[in-house]
Formats: sequence, structure tokens, C-alpha cells
Amino acid sequence: MDEAFEIEAQALAQILDELDYFQILKIGQNAAPLEIKAAYYRESRAYHPDRFSTLSGGELKDNIGRIYKRINEAYVCLRDDVKRSKYLADVLGPERQKKLRFIEASEQELKKEKEAEAGATPQGRKFYMAGLADMAAQRFESAERNFKMALTYEPNNPRFKAKRDEAGKLIKNDMSIR
Amino acid sequence: MGEPGDIAIGIDLGTSYSCVSIIENGQTAVIPNEWGERTHASVVSFLEDGTVLVGNSAKRNIITNADNTVYSAKRLIGRFYFSDEVKKAQAVMPYKIIEGENNSVRIQIRENVYSLPEISALVLKEMKSIVENYLGHEVKKAVVTVPAYFNDNQRQATKDAGRIAGLEVLRILNEPTAAALAYGFGKDITQKIAVYDLGGGTFDISILEIGKDVFEVLSTAGDTYLGGDDFDDRIMTWLAEGFLKQHGIDLRLNKYCLQMLKEASERAKIDVGRDGVAKINVEGICQDPTGKVMDLSASLSEAEFNKMVMDLVQRTFKVCDEALQSAKMTAQDLDAVILVGGPTRLPIIRTSVKHYFGRDVMAGIDPDEVVAMGAAIQAHSLLDAKSEHYLLDVTPLTLRVGTVGGYTDKIIDKNTPIPIERSKSYTTNRDGQEKVKIRVYQGESNKASECELLGEFEFSGFRIGYRGEVRIEVTFEIDTNGIVNVTAADVETGQKTSCTIRLSSGLTEDMIKAAQEKNARTLLARGEAAA
Repeated sequence: MDEAFEIEAQALAQILDELDYFQILKIGQNAAPLEIKAAYYRESRAYHPDRFSTLSGGELKDNIGRIYKRINEAYVCLRDDVKRSKYLADVLGPERQKKLRFIEASEQELKKEKEAEAGATPQGRKFYMAGLADMAAQRFESAERNFKMALTYEPNNPRFKAKRDEAGKLIKNDMSIR
Repeated sequence: MGEPGDIAIGIDLGTSYSCVSIIENGQTAVIPNEWGERTHASVVSFLEDGTVLVGNSAKRNIITNADNTVYSAKRLIGRFYFSDEVKKAQAVMPYKIIEGENNSVRIQIRENVYSLPEISALVLKEMKSIVENYLGHEVKKAVVTVPAYFNDNQRQATKDAGRIAGLEVLRILNEPTAAALAYGFGKDITQKIAVYDLGGGTFDISILEIGKDVFEVLSTAGDTYLGGDDFDDRIMTWLAEGFLKQHGIDLRLNKYCLQMLKEASERAKIDVGRDGVAKINVEGICQDPTGKVMDLSASLSEAEFNKMVMDLVQRTFKVCDEALQSAKMTAQDLDAVILVGGPTRLPIIRTSVKHYFGRDVMAGIDPDEVVAMGAAIQAHSLLDAKSEHYLLDVTPLTLRVGTVGGYTDKIIDKNTPIPIERSKSYTTNRDGQEKVKIRVYQGESNKASECELLGEFEFSGFRIGYRGEVRIEVTFEIDTNGIVNVTAADVETGQKTSCTIRLSSGLTEDMIKAAQEKNARTLLARGEAAA
């Protein structure tokens, strides 16, 4: 192993907790999916523990292990469009220092956002999703019925209301065309 | 490079057969034993004189010395005593399966009790000694393969087996990944391949996506009770029924006749696959009531054989459907199909697989040896510091923790690249609470009862405070072997807490040390050429 790499690895391990995932993969915040994958392969080639399996323990090996786990963590987050956009908002936001790692808290927030989008109750979600499918298939009357059902479970969900009104309008349009 | 002469061997530790391989002069070579046999029955027979017979010559003892001969140990390794697999095995295995401490499984042979890793360690000891005899010096390092669907407990137990046998296990490698490595995949373009693995006792199918040096298991499915043995059983039933009709004697009632019948059936399967017809001729298989010695002779055509086993072949495709579906693919999306396992030599399998996937299959490497060869390739590259080659494997199962009401929460998703770690914080829910208990599972259901329990961890040694005041951060790590480590720390003080594993099928360090000594003392009997 060359000395330059060793110095680099030790230095990287020092500042690991101050870097965001983009910095860890050495890519820009608007990198395309293919770039992310290529960066992941490149960093794996440098830091995969298999390449250091002949090292017998010690600080360097531990640090490489830590770095590589973080590389995987970064890749898992950034390869997923939904997680990535949430993460980007996190690290650009005021709480950047706290949110450098896409951890449980961020995941929970994401889950909540998703629920808010599709409804907070299982039944509400079910009818809402059925309504969306109806909309896609241009069955507007059935869609309106499903959105109304969804609203019986979550009367104050603004998204459900908007969709119900949208379906209602489309029914009228449909009629007038006929 | 390590020491001069430093070598790591590749071991395919199979349910029915095992195989060992090394890289020699840049070539991958399977190492035969002194009888020239290249695959070895994963059978361990404990003889009266205290020695242990392993391999093909131990196989005949399954029937003639049933109580003291252990086979298919891989079905039991890393399982809890209360699991369904263990109950199933108890119903069919003639040897004594008993319960050990912490819900573990033990095998009782006469007055001795063995853990499953100890049994597998004897198979590994045999593999190790085959290479040592061949090379003329000791070997200490190995890569051992496991099925892709093996959970943490099973991987850990396999690793323990290696240590007990005096081997440093450099890597626990997935079998389909090993097979793909042996075929030289992972060098350039991205491809999707299926590995169709029909072994002696089990069937697995894995769908892999392979890029340059990257092996990602997209999905895996299997039937743990479907394999070459079932094909033998079909022939055996046919032979026995025929003999019964002709002579009024049921050969299955006497264990020596049954053993001969079994061996004849396995041979017939191989012959009919190779030659299109099998001539079965067993002289002196039994005596009639008057004491006259009788012979068994029959002829089996390929057409007859195919009819006997067609439903078994169809069953494998049901499993293939399942694997493709969970990879969100169809057979047309695949770039290659690799065959693994002895029974895939049968023309009926080859044609049916070709037909099912709608493409030619890869079978250029002996299907009995391909996994061991892949393991040897990986072993070699792990010892080579200059190696450019590295493997990106994924965890095949979702890691979960138990929550209230019998449900679980996801911690690390399946198909996440490894090594990886993930933390979750817990707060105390009682004033003055001293302990936090966490149950860890692997599986794809949010119900705990449908997942495999890995263990129960109890953390203590954090600050004592009012409820909700003390936060403990638990870190779950999956290492490059797919093995799970759990640690915890007090969030505020950063103090690491101590951890007790309350429920575990695994062995403690002391138990492993004792087992190592026992294993080193055990002499391997040298049988005779089996066939």
C-alpha cells in the first residue's frame, strides 16, 4: 500500500463526521444517477475492505472500515430519488450539522410526508389510492366516489378534498363533451 | 501477498456434498482425495474406535449405522431448537437431535453431545486435510460458501465451524456469487444472470445483477426439500415395487437391502443421464425364505425416468417464477443462466431449464465443482494485496427489531450493500430503568412471527434516570460476511453499554475453544474408495 493513500485515508477518517454524502462520494449535489453509481464504484475500488484484508487489524484498518461503511451509507441514500431529495433539503437547511447522516429521524420525517401525501389512515389511503387509479383510467365517477369514501376517514385532508373536486369537475366536462 | 506459500482454500460446504479448490499456478484446481474423488459426501460417521469417518465412505453408514452417522447437518446449522426446520428434520433424520442450552440444537452420538458447528467442522477438517495431503503443508485460511438466503445465525455458525476446524475464515461467500465468479462474470459489462442450483437435497434459484466487480443478489428463492435425492427415491420406489411384484419380497424392509437399493438407484440415475439407459444389476441383494440368494436386475430407459421425475422438475420452475417475480423480471430479461449441482447434468433438467428460460444454459464448468472454484478465486484475491478485484455484495434479508404487539421495524433493508451500519435510538420507559432489551430479526414480514429471530440483546450499564430521560443509541452493523453485530451507547455520555445475548443459537468463545481442542484431537478415519 502506498504512503500517500495511507495519509489520505487517515485524514478522511478524521473529518468523516463533518462531510455530507456528496462530499463522501466526491460528487456535486446535482450529480446524475449514473454519475452516482460511477462514483460509488470508484470509491469502492479505493476503500473496499477486501483490498486491505491482508492488513492485520490496527487503526488504519478500522478507519478504512468506517470510511467504507459511510460510502455504502451515502450510496444507499443517494441512489434513491426520494431519499436523495429529502437529504439534499436537509443538508442545505439550517440543521445541516445534525443531518449529515440520513438517519432514523430523517427517515421518520420522510415516512410522515409520504403518509400526509397518501393519507394518515389505512382505510383513507386505500380509497385515495383506488381513486387515483380510477383517475388514471379516466373513470371519474368511480374516482369521485373513492375520494368521498377516503374523506369519511379523514374529513380534513386537503389533498383528498382537492382530488374530490377535481374528479367532480372532470365528470361535468365528460358530460358536456358527450 | 502474505507469507511465502501462504494459501487460502475455497470450500463449498454443501448439504449433501462438499468440494474443495485452490488456485495453483494461476489455475483454479479442484483437489481430489487419495481415492481420486473430487466431491465428498457431507456425512460424518462416528466409529466405535473413536475415530470419525467423513465423506463418501461414510455415506453408506447412513443406513447401516444410522444412530451414529450425521448427514444434512447444513439443514440444522444456526437454527433454534423450536424452529420448524428442526422439527421437520427430527421427523426424517435417524440420528438423535436434542435441545441444548439457550434453545440451541445439539446432536447426541452415544454419550457425546455435539453442536452443529462441531459436526460441520469435521467436514471442513476433512476438506482441509485433503488439501494438506496434496500440498504437503498446513493450510490455515479459507473462504466458505453458504446459500444466499442464509441468515446471520447460519453464517455465524458456519464461520464458527471453520474456526473449530482450525481455519481462519476470510470470507463467508454466497454460493450463487461464487458460481458467477467461477464463470468469470464481473469483468466488464453489466449483465443479469440466473443461477439454477439443484443439489442433492435442496433447490435454489438466485437472480444476480453483475457489473464490473459488482455482484448484487436481486432475489433468491428455494425449496429446501427438493433435490437429487428425490430423483433417487423415485427410481428406488420403482425398483422395489417391481421386485415386490415379481418375487413377493419388499427390499425396503431390510436396512442392508435398502442400502444396496439406494446405491443402485443413485447409480442408475447417473447412468440414465449419461447413457440414455441404465442397466441395474445387483447380485445377491437378498435371500428368499428358503435361503436362495437373489439378484436384482432391471433396465431403465430415459423416457421412463423422465416420466417418473417430471413433477419434480416442474416444482423447480414454480420456485423460478417466484424469484423472477420478486426481482421484477421475466425470463427474457436475463443475459445468462448458470447451472449448479450434480443433478443439473441430467438431460431432462438441461432441456427443461433451456425451455423455461428460452435460452442456452452455461454448463461448461462441472456443476459439482463450480461453487468451490469460485470460493478459491475469492480466497486467492483476498490474500493478494495487489488484487484489483473486489466484490460488492448485498445483505439478502431485511434486518428488523421487534416492537410492541408482535410487530417489527425495519432497520436495514434487504439488498443494501455491505458492510453497513445503522443506528436507532431508544429511550427508557420506566423511572430508574436499568436494562433495555431488544429482539433482532431477519425477514421480509413486519410480523415478528414470520421472521427469523436472530437473538435477544440486553443492554445495561447506562445512566439511571427518569423515564424518557436516558437515550441509548443502538448500532446495528452488517459486516462483509453478512454477519450482524449489535452495540449500544449512552447518547449523552457516549459511554458504551455492555450487552448480553439472551437468546442465541451460537457458541460462546469458551465453547469454541473447547470445540477446537476436541476437533484437533479427533482422528479422521481413512475409509476406502466408495465407488
